[in-house]
Amino acid sequence: MAEPASMIDKLWFLIPEIVLFGGVVVVSVMGLARRRIVRDAVPLVVCVFLVAAMAVIPFLYGHDRVFDELGRSRAGLLMPLLGRYVKLVVCAVGILLAMMSVWLTDRKLEAAVASGRARFDPIRVSRGEYFAFFLLSLIGVMLVCNANDLIWLFLALELTSLPTYIMVAISRPSAKALEAAVKYFFLGALSAGMFLYGFALLYGASGTIVLTEMRDVFAEQAAAGGLNSIALIGMLISLLGVSFKIVAVPMHFYAADVYEGAAAPVTAFLAFVPKTAGILAIMLLVSTVGYGGRTAAGIEGLPQPIMVALWMICVLTMTLGNVGALLQRSAKRLLAYSSIAHSGYLLIGIIAGPALGFDAVLFYLLAYGVMNTAAFAVLAGLQRRGEEIESLDDLAGLRARHPAMAVVMALAALSLVGFPPLLGFWGKLSVFIAGVEAGRIALVVIALINSAISAYYYLWLVGLPILAMPNAQSQTVVKSKVVWPRVAAVLAAVAVVVLPFFAQRLLSGSQGVGTPPAQQPLADSQRARADSQ
Amino acid sequence: MLVIAVNLSTYIPVGLLVVMALIFAGANLLMTHVLGPRRKGPAKDIPYESGMNPIGTARKRFNVRFYILAMTFLVFDVEIIFLYPWAVTFAKLQPASPEAALFLGRVMFFLATSVVAYIYAWRKGVFRWD
Repeated sequence: MAEPASMIDKLWFLIPEIVLFGGVVVVSVMGLARRRIVRDAVPLVVCVFLVAAMAVIPFLYGHDRVFDELGRSRAGLLMPLLGRYVKLVVCAVGILLAMMSVWLTDRKLEAAVASGRARFDPIRVSRGEYFAFFLLSLIGVMLVCNANDLIWLFLALELTSLPTYIMVAISRPSAKALEAAVKYFFLGALSAGMFLYGFALLYGASGTIVLTEMRDVFAEQAAAGGLNSIALIGMLISLLGVSFKIVAVPMHFYAADVYEGAAAPVTAFLAFVPKTAGILAIMLLVSTVGYGGRTAAGIEGLPQPIMVALWMICVLTMTLGNVGALLQRSAKRLLAYSSIAHSGYLLIGIIAGPALGFDAVLFYLLAYGVMNTAAFAVLAGLQRRGEEIESLDDLAGLRARHPAMAVVMALAALSLVGFPPLLGFWGKLSVFIAGVEAGRIALVVIALINSAISAYYYLWLVGLPILAMPNAQSQTVVKSKVVWPRVAAVLAAVAVVVLPFFAQRLLSGSQGVGTPPAQQPLADSQRARADSQ
Repeated sequence: MLVIAVNLSTYIPVGLLVVMALIFAGANLLMTHVLGPRRKGPAKDIPYESGMNPIGTARKRFNVRFYILAMTFLVFDVEIIFLYPWAVTFAKLQPASPEAALFLGRVMFFLATSVVAYIYAWRKGVFRWD
């Protein structure tokens, strides 16, 4: 057996998380400060910590730090370079999301305090808590990148999800948000139970919880005549459980209700952060059972039952998401179904497998995070009768009164549909190319048909703000009092237009990130095992 | 004979612990007896059950403060558990080495975070009991 990775080597890669945890500690107390100016600085401090975390990440992943002399991961990780790309993306999108939620909570109370109608009462404010949970959830995603065993993976996934339940509940003072939070919490607990059960079966089948060792054990089992059936069942149950996090089909039903109940900034958060964690977890899990003897056509990737299950999840997710979105009249529900559909596209990359497929998935996550945030930021930046806008009718003829927001919404929708020069196009293109390269032609054809279906409802989001005439309802839409969601919207829209120029650089940034270090470590550990016997 | 003597001497710390425990318990009882105020009443004579009435239905409503206080307790309780493995490792390090300083710094950071948790709970009014 290779000697276990030392804690010092593991801790080295956790420095960004530790920085953000510092942010959690500072922010949770700052939100209760006596002076208004300190309380108002909370979102700014969150952004400062996110930038600081981004600043340290490039220095952590030096080649000698990541790999030892034999080319193995020093921290004992299955995909040692995963964090280099994912943590940067998560922090960058995190800054946009933090800008969107600047005045999400406490707005009325602070106004009352400022006018002297109420006294500041620490028990009634929740801004510090909101942003502390916000950062904790981001830390959870970043920890998934560092997961080297099942327990770590489980805890990281739960750290991602638990804060989001509370964020949904406190995002707006209505019964709808509470209902969404309770639904989300119970279904989340169900899914956690499912994948925990799956993890237990995987442990039973392999005798180890360490992902790299598990991969070696499963490789030996596969070579000796096929995987243990308990391993297969465990993997299938784990995948079903984790598909809750990415809103994939058997566990997708909560999406529309929860996304509609939460405030738009939290919805944008839900559509990106837990989804990223889930996709990373699926990447790590399926990498333990397969892709070892992958041929150029990619047919020998995963064990057949898992491949079939992923294939079905992928197709059903795309189709149900897109067809469901056709029926919606609320912009938020529409974007919720679009979030389901995009999970389907992401799964094509997972099925295509490492190197090309995983790299494409990581790039797609960046693209989806940015364009999705742009769309939700428009909803958060405008309001009607004191509530953020929700229905498609509110968007009609937006161009006349809020030209910038109309353009942002149109760009975001065009990017989501995959219109050529925009960011979403390059994301989809790289995923589809990976699918074709891996010999999954049928899957890519289905995805293309789905893209065509999705054009119908995305073009509503383009056409309504730009081309339609304003109606009585959209006449009453005004800018929300806080400017930051609109700033985030414009920034995200600029990113959607500008980032494609760097698509090559970004893709090469994700290149090799999702690749487990070749067969070298496998051979090494087998030799070590042979020596010790 | 010698063997028995050696074996017995290894039990000295245990014996000390027992003596200390007896002294601590005895001193506490004695001091409350001597120093404590004495206000008799029917409520004082019933068994103490975390401030709850021990006789009656179990399906009654608790004051929500108990939960908040229990959670605050949990923070510090779990913190103590984390200190054990740290203390075991720390004792094995070279005294005054940079490694020891690093270990000390880390645990201080950890303790500082729970001090912040305390400040947070205090500012939220968890300890206000009126």
